[in-house]
Amino acid sequence: MNSTLLLLKFLAPESILADTALLVLIAGLVKSTASSRNVLLSLTLLGGLTAGACLLYFPDNVNFFHGMVVLDPLTRLVKLAILILSLVTAVFAAGSSVREHFAEYLALILFSTIGMMLLAGTEDLLMIFIALEMTSIPLYILTGYLKKSSASAEAALKYFLVGGVSAAFLLFGLSLIYGVTGCTALQDLAKVPPATFRDPLFLAGVVMAMAGFGFKVAAVPFHLWAPDVYEGAPTPSAALIASGSKVAGFLILAKLLTYGLAKAGGSAVWGAMQPGWLPVLGLIAAASIIVGNLAALSQSNVKRILAYSAIAQSGYMLLGLMAADKTGLSSVLFYVIVYALTTLGAFGVCAIVEQRRGGSQLHHFEGLHQSAPGLALCMGVFMISLAGIPPLAGFFGKFYLFAGALGSVATKDGHMGLLWLLIIAIAFNAVSLYYYLIVLKHVFVIPSSAEPAPRSPRSATGTLVGLLAIAIFALGIYPGLLLDPIHNAVKTATWFAAKAAAIATSAAQPKTLQGTTK
Amino acid sequence: MSHDYLLLTLFLAIAIVFPLVPLALAWLWARFLSPSKPGKDKQSIYECGIESKGPARIQFQAHYYLYALVFLVFDVETVFLLPFAAMGFVKISVPSFLAIMVFLLLLVESLVWAWAKGVLEWK
Repeated sequence: MNSTLLLLKFLAPESILADTALLVLIAGLVKSTASSRNVLLSLTLLGGLTAGACLLYFPDNVNFFHGMVVLDPLTRLVKLAILILSLVTAVFAAGSSVREHFAEYLALILFSTIGMMLLAGTEDLLMIFIALEMTSIPLYILTGYLKKSSASAEAALKYFLVGGVSAAFLLFGLSLIYGVTGCTALQDLAKVPPATFRDPLFLAGVVMAMAGFGFKVAAVPFHLWAPDVYEGAPTPSAALIASGSKVAGFLILAKLLTYGLAKAGGSAVWGAMQPGWLPVLGLIAAASIIVGNLAALSQSNVKRILAYSAIAQSGYMLLGLMAADKTGLSSVLFYVIVYALTTLGAFGVCAIVEQRRGGSQLHHFEGLHQSAPGLALCMGVFMISLAGIPPLAGFFGKFYLFAGALGSVATKDGHMGLLWLLIIAIAFNAVSLYYYLIVLKHVFVIPSSAEPAPRSPRSATGTLVGLLAIAIFALGIYPGLLLDPIHNAVKTATWFAAKAAAIATSAAQPKTLQGTTK
Repeated sequence: MSHDYLLLTLFLAIAIVFPLVPLALAWLWARFLSPSKPGKDKQSIYECGIESKGPARIQFQAHYYLYALVFLVFDVETVFLLPFAAMGFVKISVPSFLAIMVFLLLLVESLVWAWAKGVLEWK
């Protein structure tokens, strides 16, 4: 078979999404009415479901062009998660304030989804950059979609400018890595002799690349765009930025660091730090957890609270990445997917409240349990899961994440391993409980001062929010529902085996190891 | 290694001196030998376009950008079509031909879309 056609076969989900987007664009040229919006949405969902079916239908593991396009159980799982998150966003969009150019809005969601799926399925620096741009550019447009809202325009401009600068940083960092090692494929990078990783130029490249990714996952100090974008963007756009884009970003960051740069980690152990990406990641994670949680305390807009909470949650997930082993990767994947579902649900509640009460300030949520008890209950589930209280999925995710990070470094040599980071994380997790409960206080305790609005008919958004809440609850009680597929997928990630072997050989010469530690 | 850089330095020096010498000669000529007779034609910009009229900071339609962007996109796409045409359509395999057709279809769709959205109308 011709290699082009073979590639098309394995990129069928992405191709189908692209076709759907083009079809939606043409279908959107018909005069827009309420029913035509539903037609467009059904087209999008149909395309998305077909793409999902394709994803499950081709179970082959392939590796095209030396890692440019990779399909294995791990990427398939993440692609499926991204697809589901994007489709939920599309449904949210149908009930949102986006009225003008609705077809283009759906098409842009699909285009961005294609970028995220390609990002999840690549192991090459060049493709990582291209896919990242494919994801980001539609997201910039989606952020500024409300033409007449100045907040939306401001958010889009900030997102675009910061995104552009960080893309430049990322590209420059990747080019330095390429310049020193001479390869762009992660599988080649993993084979580079460790002496290369001491090159200051290479370390500069790693730090620059991490700045670029830090922007993508909204980690401190690259987080300043997040609150404005979450607040100003149309709610479905913000939901997509907070969910799908984050899942893809974390998978690729994990791949780059634990696969390509596995030997360049250094050490983030307190008192025995060594240059590499681990100490950088440790500092970013600690800063994100501290700044995110403290800044969220003084917010009065629920979307801004969600933004700062997203920054803090990014810090927790970076902590999981620092484990750099199979347990760490599974815990990060579990947590990021659960987090994406939760935050998507919270944004769904915000969207409904905005529709009914004209805003998402804290006082708009007052007395929600009277006017919409179901919605209030869902918001309660999401907030408590984000705070990490059992029996919801957020608790289990956080527990697994922290346990993975703690267990990754042997603590027998008298040092504390990553314990210093965990102490920060757990202490500030207690702080985060305050602002999550403040939201719930407005929802459940403070009675509404406004006239009770007439009960609105059940919307698709409301149904989905309910389903998401049920999913969070179910995943908290049976984490295996999601964890078993993740475990099975991560088991096939072969690169950790190579790393374990490398550690075993270095452990065979304990004297040289001690020499480098001191 | 050092030899290569020596050549490069030499090249840099020549590259700087080469344009400076005629400029210096022209200046010396103008300073000491030629009579000063400024005129309208003599002062005008030579082979650098026409002289500008009025300030550049005026309002113009934002529609111009849309128009220019669409033009730019289609202009660049033409370049991509050129290699296909240059191959004479004879040596092209069936998958490549299909790929060209898909590409053309995308162009047609974007044109139809832009037309229907009113981008091509000058209001």
